[in-house]
Amino acid sequence: MAFSFTYGQVIRKPNPMVTINPLARGSNKTVGLQDRVDTLGKSAAWKKTIKDWVNQGMTFDMSRFPKVAMRKLGDLDIDEDIQRALDEKHCANKIANPTVFDPALLSVCYCILNSSGKFISIDTQHTVSTVAALIEAGLVPGHTDWREFEFPFHYIETDNLAFARKAFGIRNGKGQKRQSQYMQLRTSVYVVRIDKDLNDPEDVELEEKVATAEKHECFPIDENSTLSKHPGTFTNISTFKSLNVDEIEMACSWHNRYFHYENVHVSLFFIFREVCRQFKSAKLKITPKLQEELAALVQNLFGNLSQFQESVTAAHRQWTEKRYGYQANWDDDAYACALIQLYQHFGGKEKVAPSLTDQFDGLIEFFDEDIMSLAA
Amino acid sequence: MSYYLYLITSVGGRAGFGIAADYKERNKQYASHSGDIVKFSCIYQGQRSHAKALERTIKTQFADNIWTIDDWKTEWLVSDVKMTILKKYVDQLIQERHYKLSVLATEYDFTQGLIDTVESHGVVL
Repeated sequence: MAFSFTYGQVIRKPNPMVTINPLARGSNKTVGLQDRVDTLGKSAAWKKTIKDWVNQGMTFDMSRFPKVAMRKLGDLDIDEDIQRALDEKHCANKIANPTVFDPALLSVCYCILNSSGKFISIDTQHTVSTVAALIEAGLVPGHTDWREFEFPFHYIETDNLAFARKAFGIRNGKGQKRQSQYMQLRTSVYVVRIDKDLNDPEDVELEEKVATAEKHECFPIDENSTLSKHPGTFTNISTFKSLNVDEIEMACSWHNRYFHYENVHVSLFFIFREVCRQFKSAKLKITPKLQEELAALVQNLFGNLSQFQESVTAAHRQWTEKRYGYQANWDDDAYACALIQLYQHFGGKEKVAPSLTDQFDGLIEFFDEDIMSLAA
Repeated sequence: MSYYLYLITSVGGRAGFGIAADYKERNKQYASHSGDIVKFSCIYQGQRSHAKALERTIKTQFADNIWTIDDWKTEWLVSDVKMTILKKYVDQLIQERHYKLSVLATEYDFTQGLIDTVESHGVVL
């Protein structure tokens, strides 16, 4: 039986991401705060909020505006009902770690000032504890008593401990806009590309991974980015990072050769991570013929990897129900196994790693009949 | 079993799109909601996975033309993008990307019942 499908060439069009990729270089642009004010002024969500303020008669209460001052660490207490217990390892291995410690990166101390004149810490106890202990250890030149050491305090005057408790929650997650995976990746890439700083091996490795993807016109972008309309873009950064450079090379070159007109679907990374690792263990090559026939299969049966993903997750649900009597959790390895099993089912003759055909044995029987009857 | 991607023109003239397993029933639902007969300017018939892949492509890569209200992305186009542009875009995608879809009917509404014959669109189903 000959392989059932032929890959249909798709005319390549210039991908705008090649020239507008934000990771390629910094924007070298700073904008005034007015730019952000204007952005908010145009936002529907912002307009609605302003309307709510007006309707509720709400105005900015200047008496609640925080103050910032240099104060002695000896003036500070830590309320154990508000802050967590001290995590000694966090102080020792994260903040004071000699390979990363830099006073310029220390946070200000967030606290309240009560009517007794006492500062109560509502956040940053690990930072101030670390600084005080470094002075105690004699490692801060010119300072021997941490109680007299002046540190920037950011505080509001209140006796309301409920406020302090809520403020701690907000500062530590609830209410905070966390940095996205993409923003963290961007920092690593910019440290290497713009700052030419190669001191952190993790930054260097991440930049190499991004460069490998970019070489094949695949581009990481932030979630909800307006760039997602362009082919080759992807948002699942954590899965991308889990591949090594060789696996990214294989995955992205395949995408760019056969599906250059599509966004990168996350299953691409799961598929090639697993296929590369299993083929390597079996000492097999992923031949150009196999690559093209896999592309032909995806194109003919599913249109793209997004639809492949939809079909394989549905099949996996049914497969686990039949095999175990309940719906087991999704397993990312199923992508590669299903693809290789479909390949053999439709007459693929290239050698494949046996581990990919043994695992999830019989999975492809649960693909829709519409799909399984599509052999040319 | 065939699946359908339809292009719709609203009573007010706005162009839109969607997918359905039963195009007649879907057209009837539009009529019910809008209080008038609504035309599917074009219905494409073919493989379900390809109809869905094409719909997703419109949503992502035609994003600048999607009518968005606050943050809600509808399945309608901004008013200055007319049906002729949408139809041309979809036809081009089908041809260039080898989606296994072909035109079943044009200017369809549910009062016509189910369409028996498939007009050839130069693409093999």
